Amino acid sequence: MIGSRREFLTRSARVGLALGAAVPLLQACGDDGDSEGSGGGSQVRDSIADGLEPEAGPLRIINYADYVNPEVVAAFEAQYGVRVEITTFDTDTEATTKLASGAVKADVHHSVSTNSIGNLIQGGLLQPLNRSYLTNFGNIIQSFNDPWYDPGAVYSVPYTYFGTGIGYRTDRIDPAELDAQGWDAIWMATEFAGQVSVLDDEREAFTMAMLRRGITDINTDDQDVIDQALADLTELIDLVNVKVNIEGYKDIPEGTTTIAHTWSGDMIAGAASYLPEGTGPEVLGFWHPPAGQYVLTNDCFGVLANAEHPVLAHLYINFLIDNAIAEQNFGWVGYLPALTALDADYVIGAGLVPENLRSCIPTAEEIDKALYITSLGIEGDAKWAEAWSTFNAGG
Amino acid sequence: MAIALGRHERRTNRFWSAFALPGVGWLVAFFVVSVYAVAAVAFGSINPLLRTAEPEWNPLQWDTTAFTDMLDRVVNGSLRQVFLRTFAFVGMALAGCIAIGYPVAYYVARKAPAKRRGLLLGLLVLPFWISYLMRMLAWTNLLQPDGLVNRVLRWANLMDEPRVWLDGSWTTVVWGLTYGYVPFFILPLYSTLERIDGRLIEAGRDLGASARQTFMRVTLPLSVPGLMAASVVTILPMFGDYYTNSYLTSGSPKVTMVGNQVEDYLRGSGQPNRGAALVLILMAVLVVLMVYYLVTTLRQQRQAER
Repeated sequence: MIGSRREFLTRSARVGLALGAAVPLLQACGDDGDSEGSGGGSQVRDSIADGLEPEAGPLRIINYADYVNPEVVAAFEAQYGVRVEITTFDTDTEATTKLASGAVKADVHHSVSTNSIGNLIQGGLLQPLNRSYLTNFGNIIQSFNDPWYDPGAVYSVPYTYFGTGIGYRTDRIDPAELDAQGWDAIWMATEFAGQVSVLDDEREAFTMAMLRRGITDINTDDQDVIDQALADLTELIDLVNVKVNIEGYKDIPEGTTTIAHTWSGDMIAGAASYLPEGTGPEVLGFWHPPAGQYVLTNDCFGVLANAEHPVLAHLYINFLIDNAIAEQNFGWVGYLPALTALDADYVIGAGLVPENLRSCIPTAEEIDKALYITSLGIEGDAKWAEAWSTFNAGG
Repeated sequence: MAIALGRHERRTNRFWSAFALPGVGWLVAFFVVSVYAVAAVAFGSINPLLRTAEPEWNPLQWDTTAFTDMLDRVVNGSLRQVFLRTFAFVGMALAGCIAIGYPVAYYVARKAPAKRRGLLLGLLVLPFWISYLMRMLAWTNLLQPDGLVNRVLRWANLMDEPRVWLDGSWTTVVWGLTYGYVPFFILPLYSTLERIDGRLIEAGRDLGASARQTFMRVTLPLSVPGLMAASVVTILPMFGDYYTNSYLTSGSPKVTMVGNQVEDYLRGSGQPNRGAALVLILMAVLVVLMVYYLVTTLRQQRQAER
């Protein structure tokens, strides 16, 4: 069954190559024609059959660095008697390029972003999941059972979820003051020039600037709106000597950054792992806009269409959404699993999140009314990319 | 007899020329082909679904839109200041390399006792034992507000308050580039200085020149080829460097260099063809510098042969 399926995929990939649809970047130089990279192919509609025995491994995973607890991976290896090999990537685009070109062969994509997963599905990179292997799927928060990015959760299982807001030091900025200022707080932090940062992510950074002006159509490609967001962000260069990075998880706890546009998970991770000795988590604060203006994101698991160990891949995903395993993983990663059992009361009661960072855990209402960054067309992408390049050039 | 000698000479030449074949093959495989691949990406398209590059290998089918857009931004738009800034940073870092590297290379090559020269050379290559990235990462810790650098400076009463080194200051970037590349500068310069015929320097002194005059009129001119080579070896990678200022400024837009822009386009934007176009534009600029270097070197060789 699996053999014939693999043959089908190989044939599909060859057809794709013949049509000139999938020869990305420089990896194309090394393509021997037998590549199973299926980027540019058509959507895969068949999942694996029920009741198959897990393969012997090794299970190959592609993931961000340090985005899964090594002890959890070791526990999976011990339970199934297989080896797990992890290939890392830095950006979503890099992962897609590696997978689409066949330069990296993986069974599990550990962290597909919600704004690219639709394209990966349409491009034939992911296969539909067989729920019979995902016995823990019932642990997932109800809202993610039919997510906007993958109707019916056919191809994906949510891994972690988080929101975008402001992380800051409560010993330097009064939380009440920050609550009143909202996004303006970043523009008003002139006292902390050089200790202010925005996320190194064009969509997130410009979205922040748009939300500050009350614009909630965050997936626009309206040039005027993008230009205004660019002008607003550029102001930060002179106003607060802004830095552009994704280091808030350590820079805020360590004190080198006072206020940062950051992800909620960064603050939880920072409280757990990056506070200097003698400094308590009460120095950390996280603000986010109200429901309806709050941007949420989640990373997802997916099984690659050309996975050589698809059964093992399903079992790995199922392992990671087990409540106890997910809790162990959360304690290390700091990003909240999308599981009902690990709600705010539980993780705070268990000492995994300090009470003062309760705002880092999205409520049901915030999830239901959340704004999501979605994929744009190539033209739209080009506009955002040019604006981002201009900002990074110094305005 | 003359004909026989000519044939023998040609055969010998061919024999020795064959030694260059592996190198030429290597260059073709890993330089020419990869540059062509970059061009194929720059003039190719983007996969509409996956946003990955779709190289166009046939030059007749090349789409120049992304390249001309980027060129326009370099000439008239926001990227012009990035290029100018990169030139300024590289120029200042090169000046730093010369100021630090020349005296060191000169001392080791001409003044150090012969028995200590090996040890000194060993010390010069010591930085290569640790990867460049690791050294930069180490400096991000040393330069923290409560890092070792500030602690030492305060202990020595050289400052009252800890200085913020990593806040996007251009001085930190230039210092980082100088620190990172100065070993690459010293070694080629050392080999040139070491090969200068001592009798020429002695002749200068015998003809009544002071030590300073001898240095200025004999040693320095004779070391110019080494200076040029060391400068080329140093500035070419500096122009493409992006990690030095990424690490030492936490991503401040005020000090972005061309390499950072290329990185942004290639790794995160879904516009890899524009990143590749920027690579080609940077290469074109560097080719101009390389041509200048080659012409100057050739001219010096001809003068030396007269």
